Amino acid sequence: MAGAGALLRQCPLLLPQNREGSVYEGFVTVQDRDFHIRILLPSDFQLKNARIQCSWCLKKVLHGYQQIVKQRLQHCSDLVSFMVELKTILEAALKNAQELHAPPPPEYYSYLVRDIETLGWNKVVYVDTGLNTIKLKGEDSCGRQHLITLKLNAKYPTEPPNCFVDFPVEFALSWIPQSSLIDIYNQFLAALESLKEFWNAMDEIDEKTWVLEPENPTRSATMRRIAIGNNVSINLEVDPRHPTMLPECYFLGADHVVNPLRTKLNNNMHLWDPDITLLQNLKEVLETDFPSRAVLEKTDFTMDCGICYAYRLDGAIPDQVCGDSRCGQPFHQACLVEWLQGLPSSRQSFNVIFGECPYCNKPISVKMSMKKL
Amino acid sequence: MQRTSRLKRELHLLTTEPPPGIMFWQNKNRMDDLRAQILGGANTPYDKGVFNLEVVVPERYPFEPPKIRFLTPIYHPNIDSAGRICLDVLRLPPKGAWRPSLNISTLLTSIQLLMSEPNPDDPLMADISSEYKYNKEVFIRNAKQWTEKYASQQNRASKTPDEEVTQCEASTPKESAISQKRKGNDMSRKGKKPCLDS
Repeated sequence: MAGAGALLRQCPLLLPQNREGSVYEGFVTVQDRDFHIRILLPSDFQLKNARIQCSWCLKKVLHGYQQIVKQRLQHCSDLVSFMVELKTILEAALKNAQELHAPPPPEYYSYLVRDIETLGWNKVVYVDTGLNTIKLKGEDSCGRQHLITLKLNAKYPTEPPNCFVDFPVEFALSWIPQSSLIDIYNQFLAALESLKEFWNAMDEIDEKTWVLEPENPTRSATMRRIAIGNNVSINLEVDPRHPTMLPECYFLGADHVVNPLRTKLNNNMHLWDPDITLLQNLKEVLETDFPSRAVLEKTDFTMDCGICYAYRLDGAIPDQVCGDSRCGQPFHQACLVEWLQGLPSSRQSFNVIFGECPYCNKPISVKMSMKKL
Repeated sequence: MQRTSRLKRELHLLTTEPPPGIMFWQNKNRMDDLRAQILGGANTPYDKGVFNLEVVVPERYPFEPPKIRFLTPIYHPNIDSAGRICLDVLRLPPKGAWRPSLNISTLLTSIQLLMSEPNPDDPLMADISSEYKYNKEVFIRNAKQWTEKYASQQNRASKTPDEEVTQCEASTPKESAISQKRKGNDMSRKGKKPCLDS
C-alpha cells in the first residue's frame, strides 16, 4: 500500500492496530511534543465517518478547533492528507495557546523589581496588579510633569516594552536586550529636554492669549486657534522640532478683517526672529496684540425661554414648562403657541394646543391666549 | 420680535465660545445676513480647506430655519453647484427636522458633520453621489482637488488683490453671490471631466 508508506513518513509513531487497517493508534508529533491519538475508521474506510479519540492534553489543545477538525475530516480523501491537516491545525493551536496563557517566567519579575529599585520607587506613579503596566513620571527642567506608560510583555527584557507618551513627536525607543527601565527613563528625560522649547512656546500662548481650540490642549497638541478680535482668529500649527520658527498659520474671519492681517504677515515675514518667543514674534509680525480670554458671564440659561432665548418677552416671563422632569425646559406662552401652531402634527381642542416639546419630544400642551381668540 | 433677542444671544455665544472649526460673524453689521466659515476636518478630503457659508435669517426665525448656503465651491454628494445643502435640519417639518431647540451653531456643526460623513442615499448631485458610492478613490481625489483649488488659504492669499477688486465692484451681496455661483458652475464642468475619463 502506497498510503501506508506515506503515512509512515508523515507520522512514524502512528501504527495500524489490525490487519484491515481500520484502527490506528500512536502519537502525532508537533513542535517536539507527542500527543496520543487513536483513529477508528468505519468498515467502508470513509474518513467522514471516522472516530478520533484524543488524550486529554490533545483534547485541551484542540479545544475550540473541533469544527475545523470535523471539516477537514469531511474533505480529506485519505488518512495521510488528514494527518497533514491535523498537524497544521495543531501547530496553529499550540502557537495561539502559548500567547494567550503563558505567564511570565519568574526572572521577569526579578528583573523588573531590580530595575524599579535602581530607578527609585518614587518615580513610579502606577503599577497594575499583574506588574504588566507601569507608569513613570518625569519632570523637565522647566518643572512640567510628564508621564510615560510602559506595557511590558513576558519576554522583557529581551523585548522592549511598549511605551506611551503624550508627545507631539514619535518617541522612538532604542533598545538592546541589555537595556533596562533606567535606559528607557533616561531616553524619556532626554526627549523631554528636546521638546522643552516647544512646550515653553505653547505654554506662553495658552497663558497669555485666548485659545479657542483645543479646549484643554494636551502636551501632544501642536495646533492652537487663538482669538485676535471679535470673530477673527488665527490657526497655528507649530512644528515641535522648530517651535520658534514661523508656524503654519491661516486666518479665520471676514475678508475685510482678515485680508489686512494676511498682508501684514506676508510683508513682515522676513522680520521673524527665531531668538525671541513665538508669541512675541506673532505680535510683532501681525502688529497686533492678542486679547486675553473674555469672561463669559454664565447667566443661568436654564431660566430663559428655549425658543427665543430671552427671559422677558413683551414683559412676559417663560411660564410654560415641559412636564417631563428630565427636560423641564421653560418657554414663553407666545413662543410655544407660535411653534406648535405651525406644525401639522399638533392638535387643537378649544383653546388648547397639544403637541410635542421641541426639546425632548414629550407631549406638551399650551393654552392660547384669550387676546388671540 | 423673538428673532432679535435670539440672534443677539446666539451671536454673543458664538463669539465667545465658537464650536470647534467654525467661525461666524455678521456681514456689514446686518442682523439677518451672516457669514460663517467651516474648516475642513482632518482625515476628510476637505482637510486644510476653509469654506465660506452664507446664513440668511428669515423674518420668522426661530420658527423657520435659517437659509444656509456654501459660497465656496465644494465637491460633495449633498451640496449642489449653487452651494445649496441637502440636510433635513435645514427644512421645516413635516419634510424636515428643524425645530427651535436647534440654533445656528448646531446647524453649522451638523453641516460640518455632513462634510465628513456624506449621505449618498439622499443625493443632490447624482453623479458625485454614485462616484462616492462606487468609486471612492476618484471621489476623494476630485474633492481634494476642489478643496485645494477653491478653499485653500494659500490660493486665496495669492488671489487677494483680485478678490478685493470684485468686492469693491460688487455693490450688493447678491451680485457677488451670483459671480460665486458662476464660478461654481465653471468648476463643476472642469471638475467632472476626470471622472468621465476614468
